[in-house]
Amino acid sequence: MPKHDTPMMDELEKGPWPSFVTDLKRQAVKNDQCWDILGQMELSFRDKMTHWKHGGIVGVFGYGGGIVGRYSDVPEQFPGVAHFHTVRLNQPSSKFYNTEMLRKVCDLWERRGSGMTNMHGSTGDLVLLGTRTDQLEPLFYELTHDLNWDLGGSGSNLRTPACCLGKARCEFACIDTQAVCHGLTMKYQDEIHRPAFPYKFKFKFSGCPNDCVAAIARSDFSLIGTWRDNIRINQAEVKKYVAGEYKNNAGGISESFGKFNIKKDVINLCPTRCMWMEGEELKIDDAECTRCMHCINAMPRALRPGLVKGASVMCGAKAPILDGAQMGTMIVPFVKVDPDTEFEEVVFYIEKIWDWWMEVGRNRERVGETMQRVGLPTFLKVMEIEPIPQHVKRPRENPYVFWAEEEVEGGWQRNVQEFRAKHKM
Amino acid sequence: MALSKDELKAKILNKAMTAAKPQLYVKDFYECDPESGPRDIKNAANDLVKDGKMVFWSSGSTTMYAAVGRAKDEEHR
Ligand code: SF4
Ligand code: SF4
Repeated sequence: MPKHDTPMMDELEKGPWPSFVTDLKRQAVKNDQCWDILGQMELSFRDKMTHWKHGGIVGVFGYGGGIVGRYSDVPEQFPGVAHFHTVRLNQPSSKFYNTEMLRKVCDLWERRGSGMTNMHGSTGDLVLLGTRTDQLEPLFYELTHDLNWDLGGSGSNLRTPACCLGKARCEFACIDTQAVCHGLTMKYQDEIHRPAFPYKFKFKFSGCPNDCVAAIARSDFSLIGTWRDNIRINQAEVKKYVAGEYKNNAGGISESFGKFNIKKDVINLCPTRCMWMEGEELKIDDAECTRCMHCINAMPRALRPGLVKGASVMCGAKAPILDGAQMGTMIVPFVKVDPDTEFEEVVFYIEKIWDWWMEVGRNRERVGETMQRVGLPTFLKVMEIEPIPQHVKRPRENPYVFWAEEEVEGGWQRNVQEFRAKHKM
Repeated sequence: MALSKDELKAKILNKAMTAAKPQLYVKDFYECDPESGPRDIKNAANDLVKDGKMVFWSSGSTTMYAAVGRAKDEEHR
């Protein structure tokens, strides 16, 4: 029986879409707490303000992350959600679960929490929504001992790394995203479980520039698979596409887009205009290709990424907190992502960024904001990277050139008399 | 010369107990020993949590440190 009148929440059950309100009502049959979630949300809708209070000292022993405290500010009215802490579980790489594990975690959560989950939070974790403080240690014990499952990151920690499906299912993958995601998760356990930084820090790994895990938009350090050599072209397949033997976008778009037309659908849409036809042959000036993936996505039977594979390193993406949202800036165009060297090249850049940001970053400043504050030239110097044209967003407006002392012959100490002997005032 | 780990921990704990604000960012402890690197300071502060002398206070997006008893959780207010 519903404990509270929730006319506004009930509205959210109407319409064709699945509704979390229906889910909550279903779960409330098993767990009374869910009525109080609905009741408190109804009150928040009425008052047009939240009745949750976030944060606190709750956690499990030895960990400084993975659990986010949450309390109701109207606990007398809704005692079931007086405490309603969130638990973040480190999802498996690419979110491949077996059903046995999912059943086990759901059973555990029904005993130790509200039974409500969020699959998944925006960082990637499997999120368990709502439990009481006294349930945290027993939950953690069972989770780690019986299910062999660990918490993810929260707070000023390294957040749970996430990756795309990669080589497990995708022909475009230029790197083994699961290997690097798992490898670095294991390497940086301390940084995931205990705060280390001025603010949160996220890793994400995409196998190719399609960037299915949205690394470039969401992570402080993103690794996006790419290739150094040329796009592989199968000219026989190009001919079949041109002859209309394959449906446009494999039939995935409406017929109204018409038949596949290599000029309209591929060549004219290449952002750097580096493709053309010579007779029946498709040509690409690979030096100008920006690896946008458009042509490969449009003609996957004819075009494939090259064979010399690795990844680009982007740095500094974030959602709007202090300043506006920001995409990652390309810092290193190509690194090898090699499990045999324990991802040595990737680790080198990660640790360089951390060492600098821990020193220079302000409290609650994402690394992208620190980069913006000091400017890209300074950041590149710290990273020991020579600037390249691809680092330049647009030609500078400032006509002055600032030299560093080591770039000037004789530095700041040269003999002015000697100079003046040749150049009169 | 940088302080030993125990000396550093003592200075951090003292700051956590006497600072005007009950909750401090890890960077607020950097001044405890300018010779120690940020990593050493963070490790010493995290050690104090392990020893039961400090606690983490987290908003979910940021984490701060407090001497035991100085930070109040909602349920202890
Ligand atoms: S990012 Fe690329 S490799 Fe990864 S799943 Fe998407 S298309 Fe495939
Ligand atoms: S990947 Fe993009 S930039 Fe490169 S050739 Fe294809 S469409 Fe052009």
